[in-house]
Order: sequence, then structure tokens, then C-alpha cells
Amino acid sequence: MHALLLASLTLLAAADAPPADLPVCPSADDKPAVAPLIRRTERVLEGRSSIAVMNMSIKTPAYERTVKMKVWSKGRDFALVRVLEGGPRETGMMTLKREKQLWNYLPQAGRVMKLPSGMMGDSWMGSDFTNDDLVKGSSIADDFTAVVDKTGAHDGHQAWFITLTPKPEARVVWGKIELILDRATCLPLEQRFFDEEGGLTRRMTYADLKKLGWRDVAMKITITPAEKGRQTTITYDSLELDGEVADDTFSLRRLQQGKE
Amino acid sequence: MLLAMAWRNVWRNARRSLITMTSMSLGVAGIVGLYSYREAANEAMVRDITTGLLGHIQVHGLGYQEAPSISTVVKNPVQVEAALAGALPNAQTERRVLGAGLAGAGERSAPVMVLGVEPKTTTLYRLAKGAELTGGHEVLIGRELADELGLSPGGELVLVSQGADGSVANDRYTVAGTFVSSSAELDATAVVMPLNEAQSFFALGDGVHQLVVRLPTDAEDVSPQVTALRAALDLKTLEALSWSEMLPQVKSTMDTKRRNQGVMDFVIFLIVGLGVFNAMTMSVFERTHELGVLSALGTRPGRLLGLVLFEALWQATLAFAVGVAIAALGLYGTGTTDLSAMMKGDVMGVRMPSEVHLVLLPAALRSAAFTAFLTAALGAVIPALRAARLRPVEALRHT
Repeated sequence: MHALLLASLTLLAAADAPPADLPVCPSADDKPAVAPLIRRTERVLEGRSSIAVMNMSIKTPAYERTVKMKVWSKGRDFALVRVLEGGPRETGMMTLKREKQLWNYLPQAGRVMKLPSGMMGDSWMGSDFTNDDLVKGSSIADDFTAVVDKTGAHDGHQAWFITLTPKPEARVVWGKIELILDRATCLPLEQRFFDEEGGLTRRMTYADLKKLGWRDVAMKITITPAEKGRQTTITYDSLELDGEVADDTFSLRRLQQGKE
Repeated sequence: MLLAMAWRNVWRNARRSLITMTSMSLGVAGIVGLYSYREAANEAMVRDITTGLLGHIQVHGLGYQEAPSISTVVKNPVQVEAALAGALPNAQTERRVLGAGLAGAGERSAPVMVLGVEPKTTTLYRLAKGAELTGGHEVLIGRELADELGLSPGGELVLVSQGADGSVANDRYTVAGTFVSSSAELDATAVVMPLNEAQSFFALGDGVHQLVVRLPTDAEDVSPQVTALRAALDLKTLEALSWSEMLPQVKSTMDTKRRNQGVMDFVIFLIVGLGVFNAMTMSVFERTHELGVLSALGTRPGRLLGLVLFEALWQATLAFAVGVAIAALGLYGTGTTDLSAMMKGDVMGVRMPSEVHLVLLPAALRSAAFTAFLTAALGAVIPALRAARLRPVEALRHT
């Protein structure tokens, strides 16, 4: 998924003090230099590693359910998700991301299956995330041209309203993204994704900021797709940033053995 | 007496009559043959559809046909089957579960259709290799799918999908055998498992996606039964659809072909009719003198009219008999034909029947007889009227 989302989900990097070369958040600036601003945000959200326990609640017209899972991540390229509590056949299920590829460990079958490229666009575990969201590790700063449209209040926060349009050579599925950045923290409050016809396809909101080390982290992320009656919410139970995560965690062989 | 005279008149100019009759009998043979061939093919196709894939009628959870979803089910099939038995006492029902998934075997994987069926009652497939399902963790897979995944009986298949509750459905099965069905799509994508296994895989409880209803009829039109069934069902949660509503393209293609054939029939008999008209005009013209004699002797115009008409109808009768014989020879001589060889793959989701038994259909005879006699009568009516209106004095002068 896009860097902001990926990083917010996997939440990385947390020493007690911000890195020395990190620019200060230009909170007072009405028209900040937008490219460095976005790079800064991505850097804050990105980090070395994370270990998190989260609940993913999925609401659709047909069903409502919550899956509890543990997520390990390292950089942008490696992640492992293990379902701690889910449906009857999915507890123990694991999804391994290694760069651009996804494998699923299926606990009932006791087998690993690589996701065929044709199914990248399908829903991940019935949520409003697609498999593609998990795999994409691209950077907004690299793929989009940003413009600050205006500044104003959003949900009680002073925010910059930024429009991101894909660069001509960027391989992205969106026609446009609107990003609402909190001026106090330089963190995203909301992202709106538009397709190439200009239709709003989904909204992602970030809430419940919590201080973790030197930075604030959104503990609740909500995705609302255009489809009526659907919503996916992720809330963190626990989150450990920049800890040690063994490379072994992301090995395919361990996955095949059903080990986390 | 009139009939006998007409009969004798037929053979007065045997060559001309034979030519007329030949063209009529070829017309009859054409109509009967084509009609029978088309209807036999249609019947075989409808039989394939109704006995195999679709059944005559299906009951679904409301909205399933429009937008099939794993969670749109008939929740209480037992109750619905009871209502169904009340409305259509002789119908047979079959429960099915239908879902999409991903199948994997070794390093290979393929998107599949997962079908939960009652192995003993289903007529969906014929076993190609291996053994029938005996329950337990077993599946049958379509022959082409087996090739694609490199599987044979005894092999192991992993399935992943999404359950009705949104959870990830996954399991591992032993391939009991491979099958062929009346749909190339099924052969290439279907994984068949026992109904209860599929219900548990998709977390459906007792729910099923399709209640397939088979009626003891060969009729193409089952709308009365659908109406009766709808009256017995709770249409707020369920829908009942006939096969032609589920496959409207097939039905409309059949109807279009029929209409086109109607035009063909008309053209054939327009030509034949003109031939009859010509022959009878000549025949009346040649006999002007003797018709004049008959008239002068007091034969009433009505009988003269009848004489000419019956001559044409005699010819039609003979031509009809010969034409039917030719068509029968052609149809029964061919015996069966293989439509699937002509059209490879599925046509609108249905494979063409591979074995069509060609028979002479009574309806084809009726249609051909109707057209033949009508054409003969119409072709002969003007010459016959002319014969009836002859003025004896003028006619006698005619040599």
C-alpha cells in the first residue's frame, strides 16, 4: 500500500528523540514547501521495524466481524501478519509480504499458497484493503506532484489541504489523492482517493493520536470505500517501534512450516 | 366421383404433374427435415440444460441471479422444498452451493468455481476418471482443470475462498476423480464437493445458493409451473426463475431461428405455389373444350371448381407423402448428429449437445402439411375459378 498507509499500519521508528537530520514540522507556514513536507511525513511514519497487535473490524451489508492480528514489519519490503483470533478456519492464518509478492499460510489446509498476480486487486481477508494495498511500497513523494490548496480547520485540527496528482511516469491506480495534513504534527488526518474518472473511491481517516517516543501515532485508521455500507477500521492494541525483528521472521520456509 | 375424376386428371399429363409434385415434395422434405432437425437440436439443448446445469426452475435467495453473492442463500432449504413439493408435486429438487475460490496444487494455482452438490442426485457431471464422491474430504474436478493443475485422482488440492461470514475459507482435499459436464466452463473451472462439505467450507450453515427443480416434462415453456411455485414461496426473501429466464440468450436464439425458418417456409412455398398455379392454369387451359362440354351437360360450376381444386390437392397429398418419406430417410438415415463438433466450446454458457437424435416430429408434419395443402389450394384456386366461370358456348369453340 502507499507509504503513508503502510507506514501508519506498521508504524515504524521510535527512538526517544527525533533523528537529527529531520526537518522541523513547518506548523506556522501557510504555504510550506510541499515536497519536503511530504517527504518529512513519510520519514516520520516510516522506520526500521515494528511489532503490533491490532484489531481489524470489517463492516459490510452482509456481515460484520473483527479479526485480531499481530503484525511484524521491517522497512517497506517485509511484513508478516498472523491472525490471532478470526473466523473458524482463519485463526493462525498468515500473510507474508516479501517485496512485491504475497504468500498466504492457510491453517486449515496446512499449506502455503502464493497469491497469483491476477488476484492482487481482490479484497484482503474480506476487508476494504486489497492485496495490492499490502504489496505496494511506493512513495507518495516519488509518485505524485503535490500542491497545497488551502489551509483551514478539519475535525478540530488546523490542517493543510493538499492535492496529489500522479506524475506522468508513475504507475499508480489513482487519478488524484487529497491529503489533509495536521499542521501541529505534520501527520495525516485524512486521505481521499479518486479514480481516473474523478470519482471518490475511498476515504481513509486517522484518529486517536498517541505519543510513542518522540512522535505521535494514529491508533485508529478507518477506510470507507464508495460502496455503501462497507467500512474497515484498524485499531492498535499494542505497538512497539524500532525494536529488533529477526530477518528470519519473513522467511518463506518458516511460513511453510506454519511458524511465525 | 369428383375425387376419382380429379385423380384421373392428375395423370392425364403425367409429366407435368410429376414435375409439379417433385417440386412440392422437395419443398415438403425441406420443411419437415429442417424443422425436425432444428427442433431435435433445440430439444436436446433444452434437455441438457434442464437435466444438467440449470434444471427447469431454480429457487435462490432474493437477488442472487442478478448479483450472485456467497451470502445470498436459501436459508432453510427443507422448508422451501416442502413448499415446493406442495406446489409442484412431481418435481425433483437438488441443492447446490456455489462459490468462487482459488485452487492450488503444488506450485500451480487457478481461479475456480466451487460447487457443493448432492453426489447421488446430481446430474451435473459424468465421471471421467477416478471414483465418485463418498463424502469426507474429497473433491471431483473438471477434466480441463485437472490438466491445468496437473492433478489426477489421489492428488491433493488446496482451496481458498471467502466464507459467507467474511472469514477466509481454506482447506485441503483429496481429488477423488475428474469429470466432464455439459459446460466447457465447468470442465475448465469447477471443483465439486459434497454439499455439507461446501456448506461448512463457506460457513453457510444449512443455507444453499440454488435449489434446482426438475419437472417431469420435456416442454420448453415452464412458465405455468414457475407461476405456481412463486405463489407458494416467500418472495420477500426468495426468487424462482425458469431456465429461460436464467439463460435468456439461449431462448431468444431458439426463437429467432424459428422465426427465420418461418420466412424460409414461406419462400419455399411461394415458389412451389407459383409452380402449382402455372401447372393448373395450363391444365385448365388445355381442357377448356372438355370443361365446356361438362358445363354444357349441366355440371354445376361448383363441381368444376372442385374438380380442379381436388386435382391440385391430390398432387399435394402425393407430394406430401413422398416429401415426408424423403425427410424421414434423411433424418433416420443420419440417426444422430453431433452439434458440439460444429460449434466448439460453449455457446452462451451452454455446450452444444454432442448427441442429437434426429426424429420426424409430428409438429413438423403438421406444419409441412398445413403449408403444402394451403399452397396447393391457393395455387389452384384461380385456375379453378376460371374453370367454374367458363361460358359453355365459348369453351366449346375452344379447341
